[in-house]
Amino acid sequence: MLEQFLFIGLPYIAFAIMVVVSIYRYRVQRFTYTALGSQFLEGNQLRWGSLAWHAGILVILIGHLIPVIAPGLWKALASVPAFLITVELMGIIAAFLSLTGLVVLFCRRVASARVSAVTSTADLLLLLLLIAQVLVGISVASGARWGAAWSASTTTPYLWSLATLHPQTEYITGLPPTVRLHLVLAWCIFLIVPFTRLVHVFSVPVAYLWRPPQKVVWTTRLPQPMGAHTMQLAQDTRRYFLRGALGTAGAAFLLSVGALDRLGRFFRGPAMDQAHQAELLQKKLQRLELAAAERALEIERIEKQYIFVAQLSELSDKDGKYFTDYHMRPALAFKDASGLPLLISAKCTHLGCTVASTMVGGRILCPCHVSWFDVKTGKPAPGAPAKVPLPHIGWVLMDAQGNLVASQGATGERAGEIDMAQAGNLGVYIAKQFEETA
Amino acid sequence: MTLRIVLLIAVCLLTPGVSLAYPEFQVFIEAQSGRNVNCAMCHAHPDGPEGLKPGQIGSLDPQQLEALSTARAAFEPGQEVHSPILNAFGNHIIHKLGKQQFLLHRQEPQKLAPALGLEDDLDKDGIPNAQELLDGTLPTDPNHGDPWKLFYINLKRRWFHILMVGLATVSGLWGLNNLLHGFERMSASKTRTE
Amino acid sequence: MSTSDRIQHAGAWLRERFPLEKLTFESLFQKKEVPVHHMSWGYYFGGLALFFFSIQLVTGLLLLFYYQPTVADAHASVELITLHVGGGALIRNLHTWSSSAMIFCVFAHLITAFAMKAFEKPREITWVSGVLLLLVTFGFGFTGYLLPWHQIAVNATKVGLQSIEEAGAYLPGALAGIPRQLKELIQGEAAVGQATLSRFYALHVVLLPLAIFAILGQHLFMVQIHGMSQGVEKPTGKSEKFFPIFALKDFSIWGMIFFVLFVVALCLPFEAFFSYPLFEPFDPQGSTPDGIKPEWYFFFVYYPLELLPFWLVMLLSTLAVGALLAVPWIFQGASRKTLRNMAFAATVYLVAMTVFGQQIYEFFKGAQP
Repeated sequence: MLEQFLFIGLPYIAFAIMVVVSIYRYRVQRFTYTALGSQFLEGNQLRWGSLAWHAGILVILIGHLIPVIAPGLWKALASVPAFLITVELMGIIAAFLSLTGLVVLFCRRVASARVSAVTSTADLLLLLLLIAQVLVGISVASGARWGAAWSASTTTPYLWSLATLHPQTEYITGLPPTVRLHLVLAWCIFLIVPFTRLVHVFSVPVAYLWRPPQKVVWTTRLPQPMGAHTMQLAQDTRRYFLRGALGTAGAAFLLSVGALDRLGRFFRGPAMDQAHQAELLQKKLQRLELAAAERALEIERIEKQYIFVAQLSELSDKDGKYFTDYHMRPALAFKDASGLPLLISAKCTHLGCTVASTMVGGRILCPCHVSWFDVKTGKPAPGAPAKVPLPHIGWVLMDAQGNLVASQGATGERAGEIDMAQAGNLGVYIAKQFEETA
Repeated sequence: MTLRIVLLIAVCLLTPGVSLAYPEFQVFIEAQSGRNVNCAMCHAHPDGPEGLKPGQIGSLDPQQLEALSTARAAFEPGQEVHSPILNAFGNHIIHKLGKQQFLLHRQEPQKLAPALGLEDDLDKDGIPNAQELLDGTLPTDPNHGDPWKLFYINLKRRWFHILMVGLATVSGLWGLNNLLHGFERMSASKTRTE
Repeated sequence: MSTSDRIQHAGAWLRERFPLEKLTFESLFQKKEVPVHHMSWGYYFGGLALFFFSIQLVTGLLLLFYYQPTVADAHASVELITLHVGGGALIRNLHTWSSSAMIFCVFAHLITAFAMKAFEKPREITWVSGVLLLLVTFGFGFTGYLLPWHQIAVNATKVGLQSIEEAGAYLPGALAGIPRQLKELIQGEAAVGQATLSRFYALHVVLLPLAIFAILGQHLFMVQIHGMSQGVEKPTGKSEKFFPIFALKDFSIWGMIFFVLFVVALCLPFEAFFSYPLFEPFDPQGSTPDGIKPEWYFFFVYYPLELLPFWLVMLLSTLAVGALLAVPWIFQGASRKTLRNMAFAATVYLVAMTVFGQQIYEFFKGAQP
């Protein structure tokens, strides 16, 4: 029974009284349709208290109204986490702002003798009610979190059922007590609006932003401080600046909703599951190993007079074996027709790509810009982008004991004799001595 | 174009790594999409499975070799394969089709994509694996795909951010425009009073 | 002419270029006007380039949070940014798209400024600093391209550096070795490696920004002190205030462009246009992938380099840079009509090479494999 009264009877009674009394008051006591400014009595606290209260409550009202008016759109928006977080955060900030404003206004009503003289009981009651409502609202926001999301399927349909005159309280029966208290308090506030100065909400000058410029015409013949035209200009200018500030502030807000959540996550660092983490570390380890191997090659090339390339028997006359020359450049090792090593640079003389290792018809190919090189002479094919021949690299043959058997410089001068029957046991080396003369 | 294909076949056959993968598919994809493609679409190493580099057969340890032989024996579809020389997409193909059917497609590479179907999307970029295969883009990289398809998909996915930034732009431009008028009026009133 | 005469002459020359008496609030803010005529749209490209530069600055600083400039880690760290850091792909995309846009605007700014004869006395120094800014911007593009350290990036860098060395073939005797030494000086060692990466990183992140701050500061200062050039032969007599009218229009354009850039960076990964996205880390002994090309903004020298004899391209580009620097003196007496035609021809060339470069290349070279 109480349930029926609080969530069906009370709202209808509140609305009926609000509408009837407001209209009555408008027709009978039109000039009380105001916030009854007390600026002349006390200005400082009013300015800040009122600003904070109005700024906060406007944001909150908009946030409460949109889900009711456009529940579909709101549901779609609230399904985006970034939106939800931003909206909740803004709501909390606005709530504390309006609470601060209310407390300042309340203290002012009580503390300042001049203001309290014009303060009615209804005013104080209203202020207390508003403070209570904001406090309950904050506790809803902190206790039953993500109200922006769940309200779309609870309070919104309830309010619509009231508006369409088919009241259904089932939507809100399961809700936490704070939420229900928030609703009851809201109906109470509606109830007393027409009896207090809060009635001024019905005459908010929102049209100021888009109404046509007003012409100010002085009827007095006294000397005017400003010409009528100048006055109008100043007014227009102020309006333009106000709109400009609104637009840019709105832009800043929307931009922060749209882009800052991504930026925020950027600073929080990588979000990876263990599999990805392991994969990445594995990759890094592999690369460190590759880098280490390369360092080792560099040291070897600085320190050693001879560097092992391959056993002569391993070399083929078709598939070249890659190795790294004294300048850390890629090179290829083949076996020539007479069974001796044939070492040639694999760094294309056109633009430095690595030449492929398979010999086709005595030639090797650089895949970058299709240059064929003759392995025997190193010369590029006519018409190829590369013009300069691939240089040959001098080699040294050593037996298993490390005795030098034979050698050949980069330009082909041979030294030593090779017994081809024993050639299989010989190792092919590159030698520093050939590099330094070259 | 034909020249290019001939050249590609030549290169595929000549470069030792490539020749031992399945260049039929590579040649088909390049001709179909007009993009350069290498073995990294399906293999762990971009130069293909043969060699000593990580992801190539020469670098495998005994455990990985065992996984490789299990994967190679996965003739029927539906088996979980973790071949160390294949990437996620390569393994997915074997899982989906089985090795036997896959090998049959070598003769008709254009039939591989229809056989894979449009329901799987490994990198979740919104373009199905089979479509990425035809487009010559990597099915394992969410930042890779046919640019305009990706653009359209991302537009739909990130509508919220775009809407917010779009509204911010409109609001900001409106604000700037008003500031502009404000300044104009201000200077006009100044010149009048002077 | 005596020495004192010469000093006086130089002093007068400098005073004309640096009119310090104009350094007042009144002339810099209150009285400054921008001419309005049919070429007025050309005034916005410089501002746009500045806008894109500031985006580069912000996104670049953000990328520094995660990027690691070592041979072993560079590629993995870029991969981490792109795939795992929240919003990392967006930041990286913004950085790349905006770099391209910045280079486009710098080009457009150069061409329109040329066509409007904005280099006329007393703005010669502004022009020269603008050309230097163009070179610095190219430096940014070239050094930045290497940093992800993937196969394509490193090979493209090698190709670029190789062209320095090749100049040696055209120099006589003892001089022949100098280009190679110069190349090794730039890359820090015999082959592209860690030293190159460190150097390019230092250049991209510290040295070039310092250079651009200095030159840009001077450039903007000169623009502010001299104001916009008249732009057309016969001034229309119409003009608008720089502050706030022109500035606000500038900001409005920036706002629209930002939206476009944001949408593109959010929805269109630039890597989707490449055959090998991020590919794999550079391996000095690995094979080179097919189809390596520099970034689009180097096409206008890349395709001629592929088509024409190397010495000719080198000669032409050296002459071109020299001519660009000397433009204020070469074209001192030229009419704006001539300049417009020349600017148009240059635009046609740049667009043709950038958009149809591959077709042009195939047209001339297609017959031979």
